[in-house]
Amino acid sequence: MFAFSVKRPTLPTDVVATLRPVALAKSRMLPLGEPWRALVPGGGLRRGSTVVVQAPPGLGGLSLALSLLTESSARGHWAGVVGVDDPGVVAIADLGVDLRRVLFVPRPRGAWAESAADLLDGVDLLIVRPPSRASHGAARRLMDRVRERGTVLIALAESGAPWPLPADLSFDVTQAQWATSSRLDARYLTVRVGGRGAAVRGGEHVVVLPNRRGRCEAG
Amino acid sequence: MTERLLAVWVEALCEESPDGSTLRDHSTLLDALTILCPFTESIRLGLFALPLRGPSRFFGGEGAVLDAVRQSVRAVTGHEPLLGVADGLFCAEVAARRGLVLASGATDSFRRSLSLSVLGRKDVATTCQRLGLHTVGSFADLDAARVAERFNGHALTLHRVARGESAELDGQRDLKLARRLRQLRGEDGVGDEQLGFFGQRGAGDLRAEVAAHRVRRRLGVDAVVVAALRGGRVPEDRATLVPWGSPPSKVRDGAPWPGQMRAPSPATTLAHPVAVQLRDGDDHQIVMESRGFLSEPPGVLLFSSQLRRDVVWHAGPWPLVERWWSLSRRRAHLQVLLATGEALLLTAEASRWWLVGIYD
Repeated sequence: MFAFSVKRPTLPTDVVATLRPVALAKSRMLPLGEPWRALVPGGGLRRGSTVVVQAPPGLGGLSLALSLLTESSARGHWAGVVGVDDPGVVAIADLGVDLRRVLFVPRPRGAWAESAADLLDGVDLLIVRPPSRASHGAARRLMDRVRERGTVLIALAESGAPWPLPADLSFDVTQAQWATSSRLDARYLTVRVGGRGAAVRGGEHVVVLPNRRGRCEAG
Repeated sequence: MTERLLAVWVEALCEESPDGSTLRDHSTLLDALTILCPFTESIRLGLFALPLRGPSRFFGGEGAVLDAVRQSVRAVTGHEPLLGVADGLFCAEVAARRGLVLASGATDSFRRSLSLSVLGRKDVATTCQRLGLHTVGSFADLDAARVAERFNGHALTLHRVARGESAELDGQRDLKLARRLRQLRGEDGVGDEQLGFFGQRGAGDLRAEVAAHRVRRRLGVDAVVVAALRGGRVPEDRATLVPWGSPPSKVRDGAPWPGQMRAPSPATTLAHPVAVQLRDGDDHQIVMESRGFLSEPPGVLLFSSQLRRDVVWHAGPWPLVERWWSLSRRRAHLQVLLATGEALLLTAEASRWWLVGIYD
């Protein structure tokens, strides 16, 4: 019909970038399982945020940090665990974490921050337990990197060696009480949920972790 | 407060090329330096900064890090980099342009001796020179209020940098660079659709694989570990931890296992059990009797001669006799609750007590 065809101009690349649909607010959150969904503002973990789990030694901090992974893990997200030397594999599976998508770095020696930064690019959630008190600089760099990459960092600290920087969300175990019969049955943890912004309103909650089936539930 | 930084300055990469090759080279070099130090930051085209403390501990000295960086820049770009070491980004960059490695603690005097033109503001530099102030140090000695009176707010940040209160200049970082690098790699925007369906491998799996490789390069082949379950009665038998990348074991935990210890299981299961001592209230050793009972109820758990904890409750022991057809292995498990609130899993084997799990 036409003797010549008009050559269609190509879109400049920056316009293409602006036309691309932005990520939905929902996909910026990683889902949390029960009972945390009801206790955390927004019902999930915001990508790029840092969560600090703090507990006296041996009183459920590790279980709590692992219980934050369950729902995301079940939906196909990858998780990393750095610095947990002897993970209790059965307990982790009982909690509902899919072991096929968890990478452990059990003994990072002096390079815990470096291996955490290496893993950040490949996982959606990362549990880090520094072997001793984390330095201010290492913590800040890790949190900056997490913000840039859109991962969720879960820093596991003992009460004697707190995480040196304020977190977006924090879980403080203040009390742990075992219920027993002819064996250990369930543990009732009193957890103070706090943090920045909307999370500040959080209060103290009692959760059962682990319960008789090894899972986490509301107290 | 300001940390010791290594600035890497590659002259050939700081001019933007129309075909985008500079940006590509910059991105490749950033990847290469990230392998040496994961906290490498790209500041501007051709300028990188990395904290020196961690890597120099890892590589064994600052000289070794500098050599490794120099070699990797040479190998990736074919250009010779200029390296500078100082506290804070501003001084590190200036040092890099001159190829200086400052001793720790020498940064302050180095900064004060610099000519005012390095601060990059001609108006401030000219005015100060007319007032007879030629070095950064003499500018730093001015009262902050006088500086604010004479110049605008921007000069106050310069003044803070000159005094060493602030580690970097305002325009020192190219803020758009990170975004451009992400676009170049095609990873702009946080996508959530990375799940594999029906065993298909998704993008997330590939990303995880790349990350695991990186950790292995840093720490060794068996640094990254994956876990699986297999059959067994007690938690420490049911867990398998194998180095990532080794062939998957065929044995899976599917069938019910008679006599399996029920949940909850300890969140920490020691790969190498720790020998402990269990004693009664009168400090006598507790032994397992042949019929599977304890000689006395436990009162104290000793980790070492100094570290002893009171036992407030116990359950068990649950004896296990396995492989009776060949080499018999007799064990018994015991749960104890300490006065501190910690719950532990112990086993008795070969007439000793071992700590195998912590309900952490």
